[in-house]
Amino acid sequence: MSIKYGMVIDLHQCVGCGSCALACKMENNTQARAHGQSFNWADFIMWTEGKFPNTTYVQMPVLCNHCSKPRCVDECPVTPKAIYKTPEGITIFNEERCIGCGACLDGCPYSSQKLDASSNEGSSYSVISFNPFKKSVHPEWLDSESAIPGCTSSGKEVVAAVGSIPPTVNKFYSGDYPPVRNKGIIEKCTFCYHRTVVGEIPACVEACPANARIFGDLNNPDSPVAQALESHKFTRLKEEKKTEPNVYYIRSYNDPTV
Amino acid sequence: MKLNRRKFLQGSAAAGGALVTAAMTPDASAKRRKAQPPKPKPAAPGKGKWLPTVCQGCTSWCAAEAFIQEGRVVGVRGHHLSKSSGGYLCPRGHLGISQMYDPDRIKVPMKRTNPRKGRGVDPKFVPITWDEALDTIAEKMIALRRNNETEKFMLMRGRYTYCRDVIYDALPKIFGSPNNISHSAICAEAEKFGSYYTEGYWDYRDYDLENSKYVICFGGDPIASNRQVPNAIRQWGKVLDQATVVAVDPRLSATASKAHEWMPVKPGEDSALAVALAHVILTEGLWSREFVGDFKDGVNAFKVGNTVDADSFDEKLTNGVVKWWNIELKDRTPEWAEKICLVPAEQIRRVAIGFGKAAPNVMCWMAPGAAMQPRGAYGALAAHALNGLVGAVDNKGGTLQKMSAKYTHIPMHKEKFKPYLDGIAKKGLKHKKIDQRGTLEFPSLKKKPGGGVVTNRAADGILDESPNEIKVAIGYWNNFVFSATGATRWERAMEKLPFFAHIVTNPSEMTQYADIVLPASFHMFERWGLVPSKYNRYSYIGLQQPIVKPLWDTRIDETEVVWMLAKKMKEKGFPNLFDYFQNEIKDPETGKTAEDEADFAKIVVKVMTERQWNPAKYHSGERINGWQEFLRIGLWQSDQYPFKKKWKKGFKTTTKKFEFYSETLKKTLGQHAQKHNVSIDRVMEVTQYTGRGEQVFVPHWEPAKYHGDEAEFPFIFMENRSRLSREGRSQNLNEFYEFKKVDPGDNSHMDVLKINPKDALALGVKNGDWVKITSPEKSVKAQVKLWEGVRPGTVNKSFGMGHWAYGRLAAKDYGKHMARGFNNNELLPADYDRLSGSTARHAVSRVRIEKI
Repeated sequence: MSIKYGMVIDLHQCVGCGSCALACKMENNTQARAHGQSFNWADFIMWTEGKFPNTTYVQMPVLCNHCSKPRCVDECPVTPKAIYKTPEGITIFNEERCIGCGACLDGCPYSSQKLDASSNEGSSYSVISFNPFKKSVHPEWLDSESAIPGCTSSGKEVVAAVGSIPPTVNKFYSGDYPPVRNKGIIEKCTFCYHRTVVGEIPACVEACPANARIFGDLNNPDSPVAQALESHKFTRLKEEKKTEPNVYYIRSYNDPTV
Repeated sequence: MKLNRRKFLQGSAAAGGALVTAAMTPDASAKRRKAQPPKPKPAAPGKGKWLPTVCQGCTSWCAAEAFIQEGRVVGVRGHHLSKSSGGYLCPRGHLGISQMYDPDRIKVPMKRTNPRKGRGVDPKFVPITWDEALDTIAEKMIALRRNNETEKFMLMRGRYTYCRDVIYDALPKIFGSPNNISHSAICAEAEKFGSYYTEGYWDYRDYDLENSKYVICFGGDPIASNRQVPNAIRQWGKVLDQATVVAVDPRLSATASKAHEWMPVKPGEDSALAVALAHVILTEGLWSREFVGDFKDGVNAFKVGNTVDADSFDEKLTNGVVKWWNIELKDRTPEWAEKICLVPAEQIRRVAIGFGKAAPNVMCWMAPGAAMQPRGAYGALAAHALNGLVGAVDNKGGTLQKMSAKYTHIPMHKEKFKPYLDGIAKKGLKHKKIDQRGTLEFPSLKKKPGGGVVTNRAADGILDESPNEIKVAIGYWNNFVFSATGATRWERAMEKLPFFAHIVTNPSEMTQYADIVLPASFHMFERWGLVPSKYNRYSYIGLQQPIVKPLWDTRIDETEVVWMLAKKMKEKGFPNLFDYFQNEIKDPETGKTAEDEADFAKIVVKVMTERQWNPAKYHSGERINGWQEFLRIGLWQSDQYPFKKKWKKGFKTTTKKFEFYSETLKKTLGQHAQKHNVSIDRVMEVTQYTGRGEQVFVPHWEPAKYHGDEAEFPFIFMENRSRLSREGRSQNLNEFYEFKKVDPGDNSHMDVLKINPKDALALGVKNGDWVKITSPEKSVKAQVKLWEGVRPGTVNKSFGMGHWAYGRLAAKDYGKHMARGFNNNELLPADYDRLSGSTARHAVSRVRIEKI
């Protein structure tokens, strides 16, 4: 059987620390939030329920669900598709073919064209982000102003000193999506295709200190992901949209007895 | 925007056509779309190498590794060989990378050209050479020597590596000043007091999470902050599976949100809860027979209100359990405690019994929340003593001390560099310290009275010129103007200082008062350092090396700068410090002395870690075959900590036992009282504790002491540590703001004051409203967030934001010194746990909230 990559997030293990999202930003060189785009390929939703002192709190890591029936792919109008499924079931994007129409954002049940303030409290998120046509990417690194002229540096000076934008750019190779995306295209989680294609695990999985993220082949019954789904009840986000997400959640964030 | 982009698609057929593969007609493409999805193009991970370092984003001090590509750091992870972290880091480690590449870092030495100092005053810094900078500092210092007043020099230390031996010990001592003041007492000294006066251990405890069956997190949030965060995170799922987890915290912390039980104690009343837990453990007969002992007749006489005959109890490895019961515990019922600490009696009983029954492989993880309060010494003692009652001390699954990690001090450290002290220095060193430690009001007990530091009091020392004036000061890796409560006192103290040199990476609040600023190399990736730490039953020493070329014209604060300064002072006629460096600090392999400051920095680390890398000097733990191998691995680890060794060997207390009745405290406090010719009760009165007589020597309830009365200031303010705050140094980074929401109840890109919805309703405020928050110290503005994770009557805000300097992201307006959010430390008055000298930052003040 062919490989079908998926991820299981064990909410009992997850402590909500944020390491996964930070590691993702470093690995994939995503820029800082701007223009209603979070550029967080990995993000979180959270909510509080109940009344003091019977208060409960839940945090859930979210990312592209790499759906088996991806609306984003359906909606992509170019041919061949700019956003498409790899043979391993990963939803990736091709920068050359992407025309920046934003149709994928409309199709995706987990994305919105523009995020509002509710995303700052973890009530909304977007797994696809769009790099606006007329706005610089990583603009802070083009800035030549400094806090104390002649004494403190500037974004531009740091870039001149290290030779890249952003200075921390991780220069992976991909013929589809470059390490830093250009203006006018979308970007999203690739399940770290550039890593997983050579057998490595995604950066968020590797960095998770809680061992809450399990990545692997859903079609292989011996894989840790398949095993996790075998032994636990699971949920998927927005199951009702019938996109067949391949990111699963098991156990409970706040009830250790589950 | 959506429509525009669709329009773009329709309207740019020509452009679109260029993107569509030329060979395909629309018809053909429709067929192929179904038949054959595009094939992914080749891809490969980024290439690079992993090099070792240590993260000092909190006091866990985790061994780490950095992924280096083309001389740049592009990723981090826990050191893959670490037995403490298992190769993981917490989120703080990841933020370290952006901290190095922060565009607001200081790149060259600078001097102020505006003599006026103050918040809101532009220092008008201009760049200067290292030579001019050091010449200026040396000149100021030499002037003190000329005037025979070297005690008027002060060295302030913040975060540090163990290369501090050079800047913190050798420099001030050989120069002749007693005033080396560390930051330790704004960190967690009251915690150390708790373990010192019970088991003779002045340090943070280690905790055996892996084997624990019941975990009480008493005033701490280990999966979010301080200490051993990566280990706590990686073990937590297992801990939740195998143990009952209880979080004692006034707010729904990260740990509380995942715990079996949350005990939302009223801020400042932790000691009431702890003694009630102890009461139940005894009345229910759940103490450890093996560790504590038993009644001779086997019948439990610990009955509510009943005084017990000490002779009826055969005590084993502890001291004074019966005295503790008689003096303090016999009436401390859960019902009594509920009225004070507001935790339901039923829950107190349930937790005490659960803890006692699961013992001895259990832990009460006592942490700063319960200790860093006015009178917090007793919260620390009471919470830690619970471990003693159930035999969890030095036991599997319990609270542990540490394996030795024997670094080597720099030469003559023990003899206090005596051969290099001249008459001026000796005279200067006789003066009392500027932090007023050891005065009647500040016992600051460590092993002896006045043995600890009272960091925050140094501001008053400077302002009142008591015990003397300070004319010249150097500060490094510190920011007391931001990080100490009663922060405005520090603003005034810094204004008053005639000359201040700051060694720092960013133009921080404290830097705004500097006459000379020296840019520091960033600890994780740009410098030499050695960092000993311990957790998960292993001690270790991690190396920091310049694994990338420093970005700017920076130097290492603790070593390079001091070597250069010493050289300058020699040129100006004071050779002792430089001679000490040249005569005594030599490369252990070649015997050569340093040729320049960079060489010196490396040699210091080589000298101090020789027991780790030199097989001829082997001491214990892992064997490393030489300096080159040590550089490559960057980490030495001890053997695994053995359980119960101290049960056999005894504890380092006066009685050699675990002391519920602390003879050790009685002795040290007695010495303090004697020194000031007063009674111990008088000391307690002056230091503002309520305990008197025999109560002083046992863990007991000390009522909370808030600034401001309830009528005028109805809310208790409480603060917490953010899981993304690198000790207040990550607030100039985008990522800090973007993910701030991972602190339960907080919002990204905001500095929210969390308030219970019930209180918000009464005040007529809703989410996002601005309020004025007033303490007896100050009024500030804040944006409220309604949250059920805080108790009605309390308000909570994370520490970290509120910078008015540090950088252009950290401050709302750097140039105008406008703060982004507010700094809790400006709101909180300076108060202390005086026995330990600690700054009280929890449960210290009441506040008033007004809608604006």
